Amino acid sequence: MSTVAPARERGTAPAATGTGRTRGPRRHRGSLSSYSWSSLLYVAPALAFFAVFVLYPIGISVWYSFYAYDGLTEGTPVGFGNYTAVFTDPDLRAALLHSLVLLFFYAALPVAVGLLLAGAMSRIRVYGLTLFRAVLFVPQILSSVVVAVAWRNLLAEDGPVNAMLRTVGLGRFTTSWLGNFDTALPSIGVVGTWVEYGLCMVLFLSGIVAIDRSTYEAARLDGAGAVREFFSITLPALRPQISIALILTVTFALRNFDLIWNTTRGGPGTSTTVPSLYVYQDAFQNRMLGRASALAIVLTVVILVVVVAVQLLLRERDGTGRGPMRRRPVRGGSVRRGPARPARKVQP
Amino acid sequence: MKSVRREVRRLVFRERAGAPRRARGAAAAVALAAVLVSAGCGAPGAGKSATAGTQSFVTEPVTTAQVAALGDVTLRMWADQAEKPLMRSVVPAFEKKYPNVTVDITYKSFDDLIATVVNAASGSTPPDLFQGNIGYAVDGALVKAKLVRPLDDVAATYGWLTGTGASTLAPARWNSAGTAFGDGNLYGMSPISEVQGIYYNKALLKSLDLEPPQSLSDLEKALPVVEKAGEQPVMLGNSDQYAATHIFSDLAVTEQSPASISDWIGGKAGTTFATDGNEKAAATMADWAKKGYFGSGYDGLSNEDAIARFAKGSGAFFVGGSWNGAKLDPEKFGFGALTTGGAGATASPWHIAASSKATPAAVAFLAALHTPATGQKILDTGRLPVVTDGVKGANSLQSQTLDVLKRTIAAGTQVGYYDWSATDMLGVMGGGLQEVMAGRTSGAAFTKAVQDSWLKARESK
Repeated sequence: MSTVAPARERGTAPAATGTGRTRGPRRHRGSLSSYSWSSLLYVAPALAFFAVFVLYPIGISVWYSFYAYDGLTEGTPVGFGNYTAVFTDPDLRAALLHSLVLLFFYAALPVAVGLLLAGAMSRIRVYGLTLFRAVLFVPQILSSVVVAVAWRNLLAEDGPVNAMLRTVGLGRFTTSWLGNFDTALPSIGVVGTWVEYGLCMVLFLSGIVAIDRSTYEAARLDGAGAVREFFSITLPALRPQISIALILTVTFALRNFDLIWNTTRGGPGTSTTVPSLYVYQDAFQNRMLGRASALAIVLTVVILVVVVAVQLLLRERDGTGRGPMRRRPVRGGSVRRGPARPARKVQP
Repeated sequence: MKSVRREVRRLVFRERAGAPRRARGAAAAVALAAVLVSAGCGAPGAGKSATAGTQSFVTEPVTTAQVAALGDVTLRMWADQAEKPLMRSVVPAFEKKYPNVTVDITYKSFDDLIATVVNAASGSTPPDLFQGNIGYAVDGALVKAKLVRPLDDVAATYGWLTGTGASTLAPARWNSAGTAFGDGNLYGMSPISEVQGIYYNKALLKSLDLEPPQSLSDLEKALPVVEKAGEQPVMLGNSDQYAATHIFSDLAVTEQSPASISDWIGGKAGTTFATDGNEKAAATMADWAKKGYFGSGYDGLSNEDAIARFAKGSGAFFVGGSWNGAKLDPEKFGFGALTTGGAGATASPWHIAASSKATPAAVAFLAALHTPATGQKILDTGRLPVVTDGVKGANSLQSQTLDVLKRTIAAGTQVGYYDWSATDMLGVMGGGLQEVMAGRTSGAAFTKAVQDSWLKARESK
């Protein structure tokens, strides 16, 4: 970005109305459209790749979902039979319920912990902040199999977690965390929280860095304490990051498979089953590709709906015109691209 | 404040700008899916039939001349990586005997093998010889799609239908529709056997004045003694959900006729899991769990970890399959049977691709796996052979295990594993048994749930 751009923006932003601001860039975009065919060439390789490896398999899944198909012999069309099966199976309903519990641990809790940590770090000047950030981000980078194996040992009957409990005199609470019907699901949840909070924290920290320090100074002069500062300045300013964090963590929660497969395989009993576990079993163990596809598509739709709901929820509030978010509906601006979202592992 | 707004707007804008594009992308995806669906028209898998070549009937053992007539040929194989030690000694001898044949083996982990082998077999260049897995997901699919060659002629020619291990062929027999097994045409063979029984810690039993158990009643007398002495009676790691089902099957086979169990596993119509024997076995499991014979936290411990702990000396007994023996010191541990024999089964069978162009070489390789000499090598590499004539264990533990295997085969209790009965049975039974052991459900509710699931699997065939 040139040095001129921010100056221009700074100059025009306060005066601009929503429509006024957008006219400029739009015209600019309009002029670009005459080059659209040649610009299409640039994206063609990526588009082709996307079509072959993303769109095509999705299309195939939709196709399979209307058949009883074992992957080998000719499938028999069953109409919406596979979908009916998905919605009437009590095991699947239970699995969906487990997913809802995991939403709390995988999405709500990491966002809360991330906010707390980021808020604290923004207030307190921490020596070696980068190191802290890096260390707290590590769970995100680790392969989920490594995470699962590590936590399986940590949470074992004679593992460090129980040893710690015994040391501090809480020996009566020790249990085989992943092997107990009552504690298995929350335990997996805690592992998910541990994996996800680092990502949330880093996202929020990057947002906080962008907040003008003078805002805090002004708030402090007005007599705001740490809590007031957090709720009046930090939290509203972080709404976009919270939205992104929620989208990532909610997606992770709903499509979660590897952590569960590598810790409990849905057990004990069926206390930790999730829909993606059944997708895997139906597709690769039971050779019921039609039902697996139907379930996978239902799961995808559920994830899309939840993600859109999260976005709408955070957008609707803009209309209330509270705080610094009032100008949110303003379209346009010269900054087109924000920092790239952190790359995430994509799961089958 | 201004810069805050700018930052917020920057992020907002990015989101906003992204939205229509995403919508367009979604629309494109939907359109493409629609095109695919309409273009697909036909059913998936249509027109994909096995290229069954002209199958020559084997009436005489394959000769070196017959194999030599193939010219320079590569025998392409897919195998479980657990076969590696055995193959290392079998393959060089085979290539020496048939110099025109090059054996090319692709090794895969067991999970990877069963997840990919059916697709490999249905591809345009399937391996000539490969290991499947007993049950509907792999062997059933292979038979149903006619991807594997029937081996009845081979088995008759080479005399596998009589002698030791003949009964172990049953799980590779299928009806022609691929919907029930245990009976019918033979589609595979395994040179490797497995037997379930009970491992015991010699020193610990001696210190408690206990004799090595020879039966279930011996074990039941010993368990409270061990428990009272403050030791864990039975080491169990059940987080993978299968270890407990093996103990259950050991108990269940003492309560009913072995044939009725293998009929049920094979999917024979009219059979049921809701028997008094199975309910009693479930009750015993719940009782042992309640009395703490399995210790606590067994559902959070993997079988792998459990056998490692047992090998280090914790626990008096370990009830499980013979494959666990490789991790135990033969000086310190012994092996016995819970029943006349123990329950047991064979390992993943080998199949010859129906479209193989090197069938004589593949038959010769199967024959090489089914000899007493190979049987000895199998035992030497830590597993149990199907052919046990003249095979001798190198230590007491191996000899004891071999002895239990022989008695098991003789008693006809090699019933196979319950989870073969349906592709999702391991989850249904394993999970259900965990609930029984935790006292959350009754034995009767458990056997009913298993039977319901079994029926559901039959209906979908």
